[in-house]
Amino acid sequence: MPSSISRSDVHQAEVRGVREGALPAGLRQTASNRPGQAQPVPTRDIPLRPWVRMGTFVFCAVTLMTVVWEWNARTNLGLRAGDIDDSPQAWAEARRAADHAPVAIIGDSRILFDTDQERFEQLTGVRPVQVAHVGTDARALLEHFANDSNFHGLLIVGMADTMYFGMPAIGLAGNAVHNYEKNGKPSQLTGLWLDRWLQNYLAFMDADYRLSRWAPRFDNGWRKGADSPYEDVWKISESFPGRQYFMWDRILTDPYLRGHARHAWDGFKGPNIPPALANKVIARSAEAVRRIRSRGGDVIFIRPPSAPQLRVNEQKRIPRELGWDRLLIGANAKGIHADDLPRAQKLVLPEWSHLSHKCATVFTDAYVRRLVELTARLKLRPNGPPALDRRDCVPAAQAGVTSSAAFRAPL
Amino acid sequence: MIFNSLTFLVFFGCVMALHYAPFFSWHQKKINLLIASYLFYAAWNPPFVILLWISTVVDWWAAQWMVRAKRERTRKAWMLTSVAVNLGMLGYFKYGGFLLQNFVEIAGSLGIIYHPPGWDIVLPVGISFYTFATLSYTLDVYLRRSKPAGSFLNYALFVTFFPHLVAGPIMRPTELVPQFEEPRQAKPNQIFFGLALLTLGLFQKVVLADGFLAPVVEAVYDAHDKVPGMLDSWVATLAFAGQIFCDFAGYSTSAIGIALCLGFAMPDNFRFPYGAVGFSDFWRRWHITLSSWLRDYLYIPLGGNRRGQGRTYMALMGTMLLGGLWHGANWTFVVWGGLHGLYLSAERWLRSRFKGFTPGRLSMIGLALLTFLLVNITWVFFRAKTFAGAGVVLTGMAGMQARPDPLIAVGPMIIAMLIVSAIFGTHLAMRNTTLEAVVERTPTVAIAGIWTILLFAVIVEQGQGSAFIYFAF
Repeated sequence: MPSSISRSDVHQAEVRGVREGALPAGLRQTASNRPGQAQPVPTRDIPLRPWVRMGTFVFCAVTLMTVVWEWNARTNLGLRAGDIDDSPQAWAEARRAADHAPVAIIGDSRILFDTDQERFEQLTGVRPVQVAHVGTDARALLEHFANDSNFHGLLIVGMADTMYFGMPAIGLAGNAVHNYEKNGKPSQLTGLWLDRWLQNYLAFMDADYRLSRWAPRFDNGWRKGADSPYEDVWKISESFPGRQYFMWDRILTDPYLRGHARHAWDGFKGPNIPPALANKVIARSAEAVRRIRSRGGDVIFIRPPSAPQLRVNEQKRIPRELGWDRLLIGANAKGIHADDLPRAQKLVLPEWSHLSHKCATVFTDAYVRRLVELTARLKLRPNGPPALDRRDCVPAAQAGVTSSAAFRAPL
Repeated sequence: MIFNSLTFLVFFGCVMALHYAPFFSWHQKKINLLIASYLFYAAWNPPFVILLWISTVVDWWAAQWMVRAKRERTRKAWMLTSVAVNLGMLGYFKYGGFLLQNFVEIAGSLGIIYHPPGWDIVLPVGISFYTFATLSYTLDVYLRRSKPAGSFLNYALFVTFFPHLVAGPIMRPTELVPQFEEPRQAKPNQIFFGLALLTLGLFQKVVLADGFLAPVVEAVYDAHDKVPGMLDSWVATLAFAGQIFCDFAGYSTSAIGIALCLGFAMPDNFRFPYGAVGFSDFWRRWHITLSSWLRDYLYIPLGGNRRGQGRTYMALMGTMLLGGLWHGANWTFVVWGGLHGLYLSAERWLRSRFKGFTPGRLSMIGLALLTFLLVNITWVFFRAKTFAGAGVVLTGMAGMQARPDPLIAVGPMIIAMLIVSAIFGTHLAMRNTTLEAVVERTPTVAIAGIWTILLFAVIVEQGQGSAFIYFAF
């Protein structure tokens, strides 16, 4: 008689499937013990333990520990609720929003940190969609927009020269672009909403302070040549709705973290970028710009500031006249270089690469006022706020020590 | 959706509330579970629910018509219809691109240049798992091992029941359908033990596999233009052994825990596999529901061990090669399966040659260690995306890289090796017992303390909702 899956033929003990008390070793068999036959309902034995009491204890203990952990995150680590982690899903959401946006911003972390979307909107009445990405160059993103027939707006392309002209790989934005279509599934969207909702209340939910991120940090570069956790970029930013990044306050106040962040940049050192490579990048950029313009869109490049400690190496690797200047000529595009904005000189770059929160607002104010002169797509609101300058973000006491001097290229 | 996501926590809370709501009949509760399971699957890619429906309806009717058929040939035709539809879907979505690529390469080697259009087909999550689950239904009916399910609802729920739907354990209808036939209410002890298992599974996945082991593996296996030395190659491969176990066993443990909370029993899928002594023992402990499926529906029909030595070895190799291909459309997986086939064949030959050999305690530990090391060799082909990549790591493991680069930092290396040592030691120590038996012997305070630490670690690790490795299979 074959075994059956209809009720009448199945032994009740097997149907129950669950047994109180652990079975002696060897008695709980699996399909591997029953070759070539219909497998019966498995038995799951429940160890004889006060599970309800244990579960209640665990719930209380974990709740208490989580409260203590949250308190530690707020008081000792300087994290705060409302600092919402960025994610591939959040980037994909912004990318979708950019499709029909009048203004979108792409680029690396500098334009991401250094643009204050609120200020942009106060000045122009338009809130840009932030699609820039950390750890990347803008090229992959520029081409993604060039291939997108939906986009007809103004594309602001932020760049760090060495990344834009020299990065051999396309960086993290390449992954973001590659996974763009996959990052809009219903479960990912609900996950994104729930995650954001929780992060509005819980400070400890920060990707940079996950257990596995900070636990190995005891390794202070012990193995020469290996990429130790100390070489990683740790938390330097806070991000808010709309992928609004700002420099994390603690980088300004904590010398150890600030020193580490500077160490992680390694001075932006590296080999000089061959002119042939830069020319290739310029040619591809020009083609992307041409395609966007042919659909009625436009592109303006922006080069945010960097501190002299980095700038000297950046200028050595790709001098402005060989990179930035040639790009604008080659792509027949307009651009705004931080060096050319009088109101945005000597701003605070705590870790030399990105502006402090307040100085990001000043820089945004300065570049938007220049932007409206370069494009008819944006206009200053008549009742907009007055212009800002360095004094609005550099505390008087620190004016002489924390700000970056205006860069002068070595002769 | 995946178990290690906030979406799943909300989903599971809703499912539990509906399942234990007093105002629903058992029939309504089963419909609730069915709808919930479709939602669970549709959360990835809603249109692919249609594949589930096709699989469910075709196999249901194939089994019905098989029973009603008066002639053997008709029965066989219905069985073959079911096999063709299921393997056809699997072949199209999972192996279409692979077959096309191989065709192009073979044609190219014959001087025929063929440029096919791009094969841009998205792989439906878990298709290999539910295809095998539904196939076992029609095959069992055809082989007269079981009768068809008495209710379409029970059968549809068997196919889609969300704890096992996308990454197993691969359940047989005889294991699950009878459980749907009478109301099931888990007792409080069962629910809390299920939650403890869910915690353990999430800890394995979120903290160990994704948090601490994956970065060490990636440092070597995803290193571009860098060559690992002996230390890095071994550490990364051992870390991958830990990662793949924690990832997959973590999923199975979570699935078993979730099912227990709902009042259902699911079979073991892992039995401390790294404590195995020999490869037949390994496959009785690793992905048990797949290895037993392959044995029952492939190895035995291929002749098994009843048609002479030569046929046995051929059946063994054929089963393992196809088992390798089941894991992914890449020749590296076939080699992975082939290596296991070779190991199993060699072990079989050795057993017949040294019949009276009974290992002592030390020999057992030595053989377990040898098994573990040899399994690690196979993991290289499982993890590397190409043969060139596998070659680089194997050369490194053999200490034959002339100028290796240091790739793994000391901190992550120490943590990864502590985890892998703990996994290996635990498996060795528990190879003859069960988790439940050990838990029952352990003081309550210790169990509660460990459970607290595991859950707190999961919360502090946060996780990033990364998919389980086996979802891609």
